[in-house]
Amino acid sequence: MNIKNSLTDRVFTLGSSIVVLCVVMTIAFPSKFATVDNFSQLLLNLSIDTIVAVGMMILMIAGMFDLSVGSIVAFAGGMAGYLMYYHGIPVALAISAGMLGAVGIGFINGWLIARVGINPMIQTLAMMGIVRGFALMLSGAGIQNFPYDFIVIGQSRLLGLQMPVWYMIAIVLLFAFLVKNTSFFRRYYFIGGNERAARLSGINVEKMKVWAFVISATLAGVAGILLSSRLGAALSTSGRGLELRVITAVILGGASLSGGYGKIWGAFLGALFMALINNLLILSRVSGYWQEIILGVILIVAVGVDQLILKKIEK
Amino acid sequence: MGSVSVCPHRPIAYIVKLELKNISKSFPGVKALQQVSITFTPGEIHALCGENGAGKSTLMNIISGNLRPDAGDILLDGRKTEIENVLQAEALGIAIVYQERSLTDSLSVAENIYPVHQPRNRYGYIDHKVLHKNASEWLQQFRLTMHAATPVGKLSPSQKTLVEIIKALAKKPRILILDEPTASLTHEEADILFNMIRRLRADHVTVIYISHRMAEIRELADVVTVLKDGIFQGTVPSSTPDREIIRMMVGRELAADTFVSDVTKEVLLEVKELSGNGFEDISFNIYAGEILGFAGLTGCGRTALARTIFGDSRYNAGSISIKQRPYSPRHPANAINAHIAYLPEDRKTEGLFLERSIADNIASVSLSVPCAAYNAGKERETADSYVKELDIRTPSATTPVRKLSGGNQQKVVLAKWLATQPDLMIVNEPTHGVDVGAKTEIYNIMKKLTAAGKGIMMISSELPELLQLADRIAVMWQGKLITILSRKEATEEKLTMLASGL
Repeated sequence: MNIKNSLTDRVFTLGSSIVVLCVVMTIAFPSKFATVDNFSQLLLNLSIDTIVAVGMMILMIAGMFDLSVGSIVAFAGGMAGYLMYYHGIPVALAISAGMLGAVGIGFINGWLIARVGINPMIQTLAMMGIVRGFALMLSGAGIQNFPYDFIVIGQSRLLGLQMPVWYMIAIVLLFAFLVKNTSFFRRYYFIGGNERAARLSGINVEKMKVWAFVISATLAGVAGILLSSRLGAALSTSGRGLELRVITAVILGGASLSGGYGKIWGAFLGALFMALINNLLILSRVSGYWQEIILGVILIVAVGVDQLILKKIEK
Repeated sequence: MGSVSVCPHRPIAYIVKLELKNISKSFPGVKALQQVSITFTPGEIHALCGENGAGKSTLMNIISGNLRPDAGDILLDGRKTEIENVLQAEALGIAIVYQERSLTDSLSVAENIYPVHQPRNRYGYIDHKVLHKNASEWLQQFRLTMHAATPVGKLSPSQKTLVEIIKALAKKPRILILDEPTASLTHEEADILFNMIRRLRADHVTVIYISHRMAEIRELADVVTVLKDGIFQGTVPSSTPDREIIRMMVGRELAADTFVSDVTKEVLLEVKELSGNGFEDISFNIYAGEILGFAGLTGCGRTALARTIFGDSRYNAGSISIKQRPYSPRHPANAINAHIAYLPEDRKTEGLFLERSIADNIASVSLSVPCAAYNAGKERETADSYVKELDIRTPSATTPVRKLSGGNQQKVVLAKWLATQPDLMIVNEPTHGVDVGAKTEIYNIMKKLTAAGKGIMMISSELPELLQLADRIAVMWQGKLITILSRKEATEEKLTMLASGL
């Protein structure tokens, strides 16, 4: 790979920035940053975002996005919690019901967007509100006191890392492999690149779009179950603002709003980068208000520099 | 001036004489115009004729400021003038009505007619009353009955064309360019337009009128200029016989080596009484090893027919069979399974994934196979072999297709379809915007396919290409298949006449 390609490959540039950031932080906060505690906490914090970001990356490769994922996170957790707490439904069944709800929401989104032709932004914006409403109904002021079998999913540890981190690693590895090596997922690059040409190449674009929303919503459902298990509570406010954070991570990770670009690793690196910035601000005792300002600036700089490099290369 | 002014609030413009001197313009691989000199006399309706690719559009785009010539001068009233952009052309009094629409569906007719210079009231805001009054006057002149406040989206195609023309006239042009304005008009509407154009002539406006229709040219125009392959062929009075003008348009020497394919008796594709959106009651066969050409003007239904056979749009009556098996396509995937390939008309919007590599583009069709494992190594191997076989000029198979020239891009689309091993290849304008060298190579690929017993349905607006390659040529006109000629019977003159409905 030559320099030109590396400069335009976001996984490379973002990966390098992360390495630089880690080195700087290790030097700046020798006793605080490079500790097992800080790292396991950092990974735990980014696990939920990353799992959702993987699904968002697939959508954005196909040239779409889903604003309802944050609400789905709250809904899936709320649904499972509601059934367990109020109706004593067994843990496995309650989780299945939460997941089924998530899948159903994804299917409705995908079907209305692909078959009826509603714009993804409008459809998922509406769904964001609708699902958040249902989540409020289910969990009200919050549900607590879950059975042990449910708590253990998100709170146990393996090799010193909490389970959500392992789920995140498994999901990233699985989808990175699938997106690279199966023709099913490769189709999304072609749909995002040129939808008309994709159809004329025999790809069933509508069906693939429905699947993309189902996959994304399913991952959001997984994230919701993990989050409520980890917190030991189902909150109606879970995942509020998550959708925009995840879209930011995915764009930092190399996706483009017009579609056709992006890698699953980019979604992970984007989320990791944002978590590191967050960590940096906390360690340096900067007010939390600065976090969003700084992330906004970083997003503009990253995308702006990319455009400038592209223009230079094209000349 | 004894004549009636076209528009009530139109001051009689001063007269402008437009002269073109040795205009040349090249695009990569194509000399679109070579040393073209034409004088347009004010108060004259000047028709411009030529086949597709003759350079008419390029010339009009130069006059209207969309393109800059590589060499040559534009003289207005004898003064050398640089037309740098569309706004400047408008300021000079040049207005053009394109074939494509420039109207906004959601806005009213009145707003569309005056997109920039709306009448203002004394506070500087748009004066809607005057706007609607002016627009209504225009509509009345064209005997259009709709209200000026009607959204353009609700109009019929022919009404839209007229609004488009009014929009140009409202700029009070001194030079008006019309590009096939009657293509979607009824007889009555065309007559109204012709009367309007004649009144403009009386006002000493120069009207440049591009058209394929001989009858129209004779009725309306004073003189006819013919272009062929970017070269000026002459300006003649419009009373010149059709045959003469058509000969000027097409009269090049026929390529000496017409290709003879090995047509067999085996029917490959059978289309029976097929009707769909844009065509009606079409029946024909394509035999194994045959190239069946399709001639016709834009919008004659050839592309709609091809898309339907490829499963991209539905048909409402008739039947298709391929290799004696019934075939009812509902999606391009069905066509691909039946070993049919389609090289689309516009490779950039329909054929290619411009940002992706050559290898990815060639592999794109194989992705429609359900749940196959994707093998980057094999994909690369296939791509490398096609790059070599079709002589695609590129640094490597991983280069994004966007960076290739038109001819090489077209070869990538061809490679993509050849990789599916099709029995029937539908090609739509296979050499559109492709340089001469790549043209020959594309012809050779098609010849090779027929030698291997494949069939080709070849849609082309370049008659010499059809006459050189096709065993038989079907001519379509207004959605109907007029006739199928053998190559021996077909001549450029005959095809042009039939395609124009003469």
